[in-house]
Order: sequence, then structure tokens, then C-alpha cells
Amino acid sequence: MRSQPFRKILIANRGEIACRILRTLKTSGVASVAIHHAVEDRSPHVGQADEAVEIFGDTPVAAHLDVEQIVAAAQGAGADAIHPGYGFLSENARFAAAVEAAGLVFVGPDAETIALMGDKISARNFARAQGVPVAPSVTPTGDLSSFLAAAETIGFPLLIKAAAGGGGKGMSVVRSASELRSAARIAASEAERYFGDGRIYAETYVERPRHIEVQIAGDGDGQALHLYERECSVQRRFQKIIEEAPAAALAPALRDDICAAAARLASAAHYRNLGTVEFIVAADGRFFFLEMNTRLQVEHPVTEMITGLDLVRLQLEIAAGFGLAGVPRPLPRRGHAIECRVCAEDPERDFLPETGTLAVLEIPSAPWLRFENALAPGQRIGTEFDPMLAKLVVHGDTREQAVERALQALDQLALLGVRTNIDYLARVLDHPGFRAGELHTGFLQEHAAALQPKALDAAATDAAVIAAALGFRNFRNVVFDVPEPYASIGAWRN
Amino acid sequence: MGFTLHLDGAAHEIEILARRPHLRLRVDGRDYEITSAGEEDDGRQHVEIDAKPHRFVRAHVGNRQILRMQGRTFEAELLDPRDAARAGGTDLGCLRAPIPCSVVEVHKRPGEAVTRGETLVTIESMKLQIALLAPRDGTLAKAPRSAGETFEKDAIVAELEPLPKA
Repeated sequence: MRSQPFRKILIANRGEIACRILRTLKTSGVASVAIHHAVEDRSPHVGQADEAVEIFGDTPVAAHLDVEQIVAAAQGAGADAIHPGYGFLSENARFAAAVEAAGLVFVGPDAETIALMGDKISARNFARAQGVPVAPSVTPTGDLSSFLAAAETIGFPLLIKAAAGGGGKGMSVVRSASELRSAARIAASEAERYFGDGRIYAETYVERPRHIEVQIAGDGDGQALHLYERECSVQRRFQKIIEEAPAAALAPALRDDICAAAARLASAAHYRNLGTVEFIVAADGRFFFLEMNTRLQVEHPVTEMITGLDLVRLQLEIAAGFGLAGVPRPLPRRGHAIECRVCAEDPERDFLPETGTLAVLEIPSAPWLRFENALAPGQRIGTEFDPMLAKLVVHGDTREQAVERALQALDQLALLGVRTNIDYLARVLDHPGFRAGELHTGFLQEHAAALQPKALDAAATDAAVIAAALGFRNFRNVVFDVPEPYASIGAWRN
Repeated sequence: MGFTLHLDGAAHEIEILARRPHLRLRVDGRDYEITSAGEEDDGRQHVEIDAKPHRFVRAHVGNRQILRMQGRTFEAELLDPRDAARAGGTDLGCLRAPIPCSVVEVHKRPGEAVTRGETLVTIESMKLQIALLAPRDGTLAKAPRSAGETFEKDAIVAELEPLPKA
């Protein structure tokens, strides 16, 4: 192991997470290399990096998934390590192996651990062997009829998932034996289509489950710590939109059990670097291992806000061979943090992705606020990348204060030109069930009607109509067709 | 002279009642006095309606306007009275692409009768499949020729025959 700080790091990513990593590289005095496809050569991450290398591909995403090209870019730039961020190649074992084979350091776990945890079935078997609770399940044999028979013995409801899956693809809830056969067929064909691996498995479906995950850090030699939990129960289409730390209204003994199970798993895996162990938590306090993410999470800032840690810096320290010395023990836990994912999507139309051009960007500022983004006015928001535009992260002394601050920040945030979920996020935070911490992964569906936009009273609607009308040139031309009133109602521009 | 302004798709009628000493407007039959309006130093807009100040942010996108005001986002469009005079029926027979997409399956052919809620075309965008449903009963006038055809956002994917005039 090297035990020597890095001089130059290539960031194999883009968008807000590339900018986030760049920030830590700058404060740590490490030189940075960005990569970019031609469509993003004016993106903020390119301008903020010390160097930038163009990558090529049929599509921008294909370029960001090109292992050989990215490793060659790092070598060509003289980088000594690659930080993969999240998404793209961050959980690709072949990439991690190729980086190490090229004599560079991969900022993350080794390829074997990524492969072990990347397969849901091997990950579950490993967790079960370490005494971490796993939901009763059926592993497929490739034979549909024996799979169906075994699935029936677990009982209903069942959750069917792709073995290689993620992001909700190939996932469905089956409530009776009569639905099982067709659901299994559909899941297998979706799994084949999205992941090139048609294996599926079925497990006990927990009603109204909470999604609670634990941030862990390991030194690769069997020492591992947990850095507390995050609650990620507020999801649409099986994807998180609001995360918080600590989890709301979680019994302290249960929290300790969950966190200890995660640290035990990481320690047994001789886990190196940061990772996240995800659990499903039932209303009765049972909890089950869901999966392990072998990378930095999108929602890592909420952990940073309550612990004061810089998790990217910790990743670099571990990768450089300094172990877990950067984690104070006991690790402080201060207040409450909430992250809202601002997405280009239309909540009123089933969260369909939206496109447009960012005409106006107004970001609120406060010492308790982080707005993680890579946005610039004039930027085109297309569909070539993920619809997440930015993350609004706030901290408060209490959960109530954090909710109020998030609402205040969302109110001040203006991101005009593409439809976003900003107003929807505010309605979720303001919902009595959210405020009470009565969360589960079906929260948004359960309260769908209450989360619709509220009708405005006539005066509020009329105020918006007047404000809009005065912004239209045709209307102003008629208002001002006599000169006198110009002076009487003040200065007009535009 | 009256204007029609569409706010989030709903039509509102605006009349100018007076220009002096202050601008007075009638919106859907309710009267308001606008005592001041303009841009502030921080780039935000303000308007004072019946002595109540409002602050907001505005963006012009094409001929639409987007406002962020009262913690909400509004989309507004001003109908020019000259255009309104020309405009005929509604758009209820048109199925537009909600996002840039390609056609996965065409379920109905032009000339076929369709009932409200029936799937006419399945489209796909970013691995997400979306069914485009018939907005009303009628006869299909236009549909994509085959799977694989691509559409830009807001392009008309399928169209029903216009309803006979009552």
C-alpha cells in the first residue's frame, strides 16, 4: 500500500458530482483532470478542472462508459488515480481492474468486492453468511417452473427483481399465485433487455417498508466503521428524491443494530474505501439486507452535514493508504440534514423527463445550505443524461428546522426554462405525514392526491396573471399607448 | 381592449380600466390597482397590487413566460386578440409527444374507430415506455406509419378526425 498523497486525479464523471469531487481536489491541493464528450465541452466541470480531455463515443453516455479510453486518458494526462463518482463506471469491476492493471489507483473498493456486491444473489449470500438478516427469497435455477414453485412456498406478497438490476428496472410486486408466472416472465425479459442478464429472484415483500442505508468506510484490512444511517424512503419509480440523516423517528436500539450489521458486513468483506449498505426496514422493526453500493452515493452530503466529514477527502485518504485515521472517534453527529433532488421532470405527468433551456437560475444562499449542481444559464437540458439537475441540501439543529429551511430554500430557488419538480418537493416536505416522519417507500403513491398542486385562491391567481401580463411586450404596448402613466407607475425595463 | 392570458393552461380575461393615476386592471371580473412594478437591484421583479407587494422571478422562453412567484412556478402565454379571432376549435384531437421519443408499437390505424382511454401508440424514451391514449371517442385521422419513427417533444404523433360542428 502506498501511503502517499496523490498528485493528480482524473474524474471519470460529469455534472454535479464531478464538480463536487473537484472542490475537494482543489482544497486538498491535488491537480484535476476532467473528461467530456463534445456535447458537454462547455459544462462547468470542464471549466473548473485543471485539465480536460475530450472523450469520444456514438453517444455521450457511451463515451463515459468506455473503459479503455478513460484509462488511456488518465495515463496520457499523468494522473496517478481515477475517481469514478457515482453511476457510469463507478460499480464496474472490469473498470476497477483495468485502472489497477494500468498502474493507477482506483478510488473505491477492489474489483473482486465490486463483483461480489454487484450481483444481488452473491451479495445476499455473503450477507447471510455474516449473520446480516436477509429477506426469505428464491434464487433462480434458470428453470421457470421450479422457480415458481419455490416462490410460492415463501408466500405473498413477493417482490421480483433482476439479479443484475438497479434503478427499479425489472422489478414488480406480485400479490397472488395467479399473477406470478406472467410477472416472472416479464421481469426476466426486462432483465435480459436492460442488463443482458435474464436471471431474476423473488423475495418477501415488506409492506410499507422504509429504505434505510448505512454509510460505511473500510481500510481494506478488515477494519470498518459505520458513519451513521440515512433515510431514503421517499421515492418515485423506485428512485430516491428526498434523503435525510439521521433517519426520522427510528428507535435508537434499532438504529444501533442496523449500523452495527452494516459495519460487520463491511469488515467481513475486508471492504476498502466508502460504501453503502442498504436495508429494508419493516414497521415491526425487522430489517433485511437489500444491497451494497460500492461507491460514493448521490446523497452523501447529508452524512457530511451531520458528521462534519468530507467524504470525498476520506475516499482519497483511504485510497492513498492512510486508512481511517481521518475519522474522529467517536464520530460526532450534529443536527439533521435533508437533501432534495431537483429533477427536470413533470410530477403531474407521472414524472416524465422534461427538456428545455435553462433561462434563469437563482440559487439561494445560506451557511446551512449546499446547492450541488453543474448548471449555467443558457444550458440546454436534454435527455442524453440523467434528469437530476441539482441537489439542494440543508442542515438544521432539529428535523423541524431542517424541513423549514428546505422549504424556504426551495421557495427561493428559481430554475426557469425547463419544468422541474421543485414545487412538488416543497409539497412533499410540507405534507403532515412527512413532517411527522411517517415514511415508507410507497409514501408518494399513498399521498398522491394530497401532493397534487393546491388550487390557488382568486387573488393569488390574479396576482400571477397581472405579473405575467406586465411582462408581455404586446400588453405593455397597449398599457403605455398614452405617455403619461409611464412616470406614475415607476421604472419599466425589458 | 381585452386580453386573454393563459396561466398554466387556464384562460384569464384582462381588461385595462384606467391608466391614471395608477394602472387599474380587471381580471376575470375583479378589479385591481397596480401602484408600482419593475425590476429590483437583485434582478428579481416586483409588482404592487392593491398596495400588496409581490416579488418574483421571470423568464421568457419563446413566446411563453415562466414565473416563480408565491412559492410556485407558473407558465403564462398571452393570446394576441388578433390571433384569437382566427383561432377555431380545440386541440383535443391531437396526441403530442410528451418528450423526444421513438415509436415502439402502433395499435390503431387511420380510419379506425377509437374509444376514449384506448392505447393508440406506445412510445419509448430513455428506456421508459409510455402509452398514448385516445383523449376522446372518435376516428383516427393520423398515426405513425411504423415502429421506430421518432418525434421531437410536442410534435403531433397521432390525431383524431375533428368533431362535427354542433
